Amino acid sequence: MGDTQPRRLEELLAREIGLILAIGGIALVQVTLLATPLGFSAPLLLVLAICRTLIGVGSAFPDSGVMRGLRWSLYGGISLDILAATPLGSHALAMLLAAFAVAALTRRLRIEGPLLPLLATLAGSLIYESVLALLIQPGPIDWASTARVALIPGVLAALILSLPAFFGLRWMLRAQL
Amino acid sequence: MRDYLDETSIKLRRERSNTPASGRPFVLALVLCLVAGALIILDRQGMITPLRLLIQQSVAPAAQTLTELRDQAGALASAPRSEADLRARIDVLEQQNSQLMAENLRMQQDQVENTSLRQQLQIQREQPWRLLGAEVTVRPPDAGRRVITVSRGTTDGVRVGMAVIGQNPGGPAALVGIVESTGAHTAELLLITDFSSQVSARVIHTARAGLGLVQGQWQQGSRLRLAQVDRSTLIAHGDAVVSAGLTGSLHVPLDLAAVPANIPIGSVETVSTSGQEQSAELRPFVDPDQVRYVWVILSQDA
Repeated sequence: MGDTQPRRLEELLAREIGLILAIGGIALVQVTLLATPLGFSAPLLLVLAICRTLIGVGSAFPDSGVMRGLRWSLYGGISLDILAATPLGSHALAMLLAAFAVAALTRRLRIEGPLLPLLATLAGSLIYESVLALLIQPGPIDWASTARVALIPGVLAALILSLPAFFGLRWMLRAQL
Repeated sequence: MRDYLDETSIKLRRERSNTPASGRPFVLALVLCLVAGALIILDRQGMITPLRLLIQQSVAPAAQTLTELRDQAGALASAPRSEADLRARIDVLEQQNSQLMAENLRMQQDQVENTSLRQQLQIQREQPWRLLGAEVTVRPPDAGRRVITVSRGTTDGVRVGMAVIGQNPGGPAALVGIVESTGAHTAELLLITDFSSQVSARVIHTARAGLGLVQGQWQQGSRLRLAQVDRSTLIAHGDAVVSAGLTGSLHVPLDLAAVPANIPIGSVETVSTSGQEQSAELRPFVDPDQVRYVWVILSQDA
């Protein structure tokens, strides 16, 4: 019985490191293999973080689920910052705000069907792209051109990924729901 | 206990909990946002930038490998799949190849023209002549007559009797021949090495110049001969021979009469005396048989 707690801690730590490495790998795939002809990569990590948060909200333990989504956001954001050579924390902050907004907006909703993941991704990616523009772009932002160049294409790419990511992730995490 | 914590409990808690949500996610979100904000500030101040760069460097090889993989996959995806596609691709490439070859040829021609124009400019700086560059289009077809055809004619201002010069790399611009006949776009030159070519000349020896006549000797087995030089004129090996321009200076309407003075012709190789006259074998400054590009002297500044 005495060994139970330390082993549990080690196990948690190992799981967390595994999660970080897995998310780092996904970030690597996103910035290399998922580059689109439009000059940016498909926002797989953002969609996964939003979907994970959404699945967490709909799980038996929503607090724990949302907190997992937030951790995914932080790890994913930092991984992207490292790979994209942006100031460390900028992607992370944008992704955290997007995930938290999704959690706050869907907290009282029943997570069913394809509409909610789509709306959550729409809202989350809008927040993400806007915050990222504020954090990364120097000087006053020309929102019209930012919307045309980054916001709308980014949101559209996220929407395309959202349903496969949501249902795929829900299938993978079905044991924890 | 273990079953309760890991397996059984999850199965039991499949239904959504009715317990009101706590503020823990909000607190965690706030803390994580603060962490992210602190990271941004620290990175902007350069305090954790070395760490970020170190991690970047360590993942760079993997990123490069994956990017190469993507590029290869993209190349595979865009590669032609059927025979018809392949043929179409070959057609496009052949067209491109043809265009590139034509472009390359044009560039080479431009380069040659550029070199010739530079030479012409250099000659015009040194001599008071107005020149017209011309490419040699036809070389002497046989040994019987030393003529060449150039790609300029009366439409370019070329007239019978005009002197034509050439230049070897590192040598002076020197007389090659004289325009013998003209067409609208071509002209025939009688090379100075032809037996029928005769040009009045001066042989320059230590600031003195004796008159003579340069005659072609190709048909006689050599190239040029300076004849009819007075016996009293001093000539030595290496003396330069230039055109005298005597017929040109008379402005008479005769063929072969427009050769200006002081066009280099050649240098003395051997001297021989016969009676009251001297003669010399000359080595031309420019070998007329080797020229590919020549200049017609259109006029001479006063």
